[in-house]
Amino acid sequence: MTQFIYGLLLYIFLMLPPVAALFESMMITHMHMQMPMLVISGFLMSGLLLRRSHLFLEKWNHNGIPGITLFMMIMIYWTIPRTMDEALTMQTMEIWKFISLPFLAGVPLRDSWKKLTKAWKNFIIFIFTVKYFGMGALYIWSEESLCNNYLVIDQLTLGWGFITTAICLVIYLVYAFSVNPSDYE
Amino acid sequence: MDAAIEQNRRAAVISEKKNKVLGVCLEDARISKSYLAVAFVALLLGGLLGLLQGLNRAGVLELPAWLNYYQILTAHGLLLVVVLSAFFTIGYFYAGLSHTLGGLLPKVRKLAWIGFWTKMVGLVLVVVPVLMNEASVMYTFYPPMAAHPVFYFGLVLVVLGIWILATGAFINVAHWRKNHKGQHLPILAFFATGVFVLLVGATAFVAVEVLFMIIPWSLGWVETINVMVARTLFWAFGHTAVNIWYLTAVSAWYVIVPKIIGGTRWNDYLTRVVVIALVIMNITGGFHHQIVDPGISLPIKFMHVFMSLAIGFPSLMTAYAMFRVFERTGRRKGGKGALGWFKKLPWGDVRFLSPFIAMAAFIPAGAGGIVQSTNQLDQVVHNTMWIVGHFHLTLGMSVVMTFFGISYWLVPYLSKRVLTPQMNKLGIIQTIIWTVGMVIMAISMHAAGLFGSPRRTSFTTYGDFAETLGWNPLMTAVGIGATLLLIAVILQVYAVFNMMFFAPKGEVEFPIAEIEQDEAPTPYMTERWGIWVVVMLIVIAMAYVLPLTDMIVNAPPGSPPFKTW
Ligand code: HEM
Ligand SMILES: [Cu+2]
Repeated sequence: MTQFIYGLLLYIFLMLPPVAALFESMMITHMHMQMPMLVISGFLMSGLLLRRSHLFLEKWNHNGIPGITLFMMIMIYWTIPRTMDEALTMQTMEIWKFISLPFLAGVPLRDSWKKLTKAWKNFIIFIFTVKYFGMGALYIWSEESLCNNYLVIDQLTLGWGFITTAICLVIYLVYAFSVNPSDYE
Repeated sequence: MDAAIEQNRRAAVISEKKNKVLGVCLEDARISKSYLAVAFVALLLGGLLGLLQGLNRAGVLELPAWLNYYQILTAHGLLLVVVLSAFFTIGYFYAGLSHTLGGLLPKVRKLAWIGFWTKMVGLVLVVVPVLMNEASVMYTFYPPMAAHPVFYFGLVLVVLGIWILATGAFINVAHWRKNHKGQHLPILAFFATGVFVLLVGATAFVAVEVLFMIIPWSLGWVETINVMVARTLFWAFGHTAVNIWYLTAVSAWYVIVPKIIGGTRWNDYLTRVVVIALVIMNITGGFHHQIVDPGISLPIKFMHVFMSLAIGFPSLMTAYAMFRVFERTGRRKGGKGALGWFKKLPWGDVRFLSPFIAMAAFIPAGAGGIVQSTNQLDQVVHNTMWIVGHFHLTLGMSVVMTFFGISYWLVPYLSKRVLTPQMNKLGIIQTIIWTVGMVIMAISMHAAGLFGSPRRTSFTTYGDFAETLGWNPLMTAVGIGATLLLIAVILQVYAVFNMMFFAPKGEVEFPIAEIEQDEAPTPYMTERWGIWVVVMLIVIAMAYVLPLTDMIVNAPPGSPPFKTW
């Protein structure tokens, strides 16, 4: 219950017009702070939601793969420059963003993550790493502006944001593969 | 649950017994003693220079022509905020690692010595140009002020030494964990791990600044330097360094002080959470030193202030934890009523009194820090004496007085000598003089700063301008405080070397408090340092990518080197 309240508070906080405007005024904070925080708010709220819908999820997402696939689809969808642009210009897309990220990405993430095997988890992180390097390269080397609403410097910054995040993920993967927890635990 | 509690209790008894049997390992003690000796020599020299500065700014001492105010200021800053703090931290935590992990490994001992000499050589290379007045760039060495290249080579070696020591610490911790599967790292070693992780993270930034920007520029290989980027990299380091010294002091508050007052530690799980939170969120706080810098947009500054105030949260937890422990212990000793427990604390024991005053000083110091994190308020106090007052409260009291308090048991423990009642009394006197001196100095610095007196400026009457003459009484008080402080420095340094070489032989304990017996076991999550480091890196990436890209892509023309003194 406390988690649900924290999640809800975070969700409401992110919805406040000045907060949303601040995050959306910079491309990198839009994609790398607002969006992940929306996912986190859904993740936190989902504890309560999942308990209610236990049976349905048990049937639909018993090994976690369908849920994580939905999560990935939503995440990838929101890294497409065009979707970000539309979220800024069309009210319906903005609403869709605030619904899809917490409830179609955050909630299934929580239900799926604990069900996945370690190999699957690392595979998902690996996919994100590759995707982040790819998106980083795209944003850094693209000569023209990919989003109508942001300047080229915003785009370049976001590109470096992707690259540095990808480097962090690589470090995590190296750690996960080189350190055997059973040596320590 | 009950079984786990029982296990906790037994583990506590065993670790107690083991420590009694093991005593101090002499070879490990030599390492820590060397670090502490350097630290306290630095205190003596730095304190002496501090007095010269204080007297100069009070208007009573005119420096001779061959001695430049900014040269002294550079040496004072470096000796105290870099040498004293770093050497003390390393000496203390290496003693802690040796004590709680059952001795240092031979190869770690070797690394500790290599690191020591690397740092010493680096230090000499830093100090010589300062003495020759070729590097009066102050401890922040902001470009475009340029020192002699040797100064920067010295800095590189100092950083390298830190990395060697961190490696040693990590090796010892990993070794212990392999041999104690599933156990939590002893709490002092846990703090040490956090501190060394932060040290590596912080120095990485300054290494990039010095190696890739300043050295090529000071050697003339490149003509200009990007001043904003250099400052940003510096403060990622400078801010974190100061917070590392603070975290070192905090470790003693959580682990040592409860034992000295005869109590138990605050909740183990939450203690570890505080350490992790401080490690993850620390480096990004560096931006609060650039609130007045141009070239960072307002929304970004706003977010950074948010990040840096977030560090306040674990600090508030610390304040709560300390008073909880004091109250619990005082009540168990029979303290009655709302405040009766307060009287039951061992006020006559310097090992308690000194860190207690240090903690109390953190209340105004922390409040001042929040003031400075606020854009509008910082406009008033930025680069004034207020700031100098602030960090003499945080460092000069909260951190350094805790270090002093530690020295009264750590040095005897390492030297197999005892803290005599006379030495304890000397320590109490020293603590009182230092407190009075620092309070006088810090309050008058804060006040002078509010009236506009600038920091880093040698004495001048501004052509007898009436407005600025009003600062002089306050600056006289600074001089009085500085004089008291030097007396306290001399007593402290005397105490340390006396306890190291001349005090009566004997055994004293390494005071590490145990946990409460009925405490729920700590989740193993806290030990997954690999994950915390990755989270820390992601937080850093989030905070730094935007401003750095902006500063590099939209850079103004760079600056050639200047010698301003
Ligand atoms: C004997 C005790 C001390 C005295 C009398 C003293 C006095 C002073 C004075 C007068 C200033 C110069 C202000 C200015 O012109 O801007 C100063 C600066 C400074 N002090 Fe101290 N101080 C003492 C101890 C310490 C300690 C223990 C630390 C830290 C561990 C410390 C760290 C610094 C730093 C970092 C600066 C700033 C240097 C700069 O602006 O470049 N001081 N001190
Ligand atoms: Cu800071």
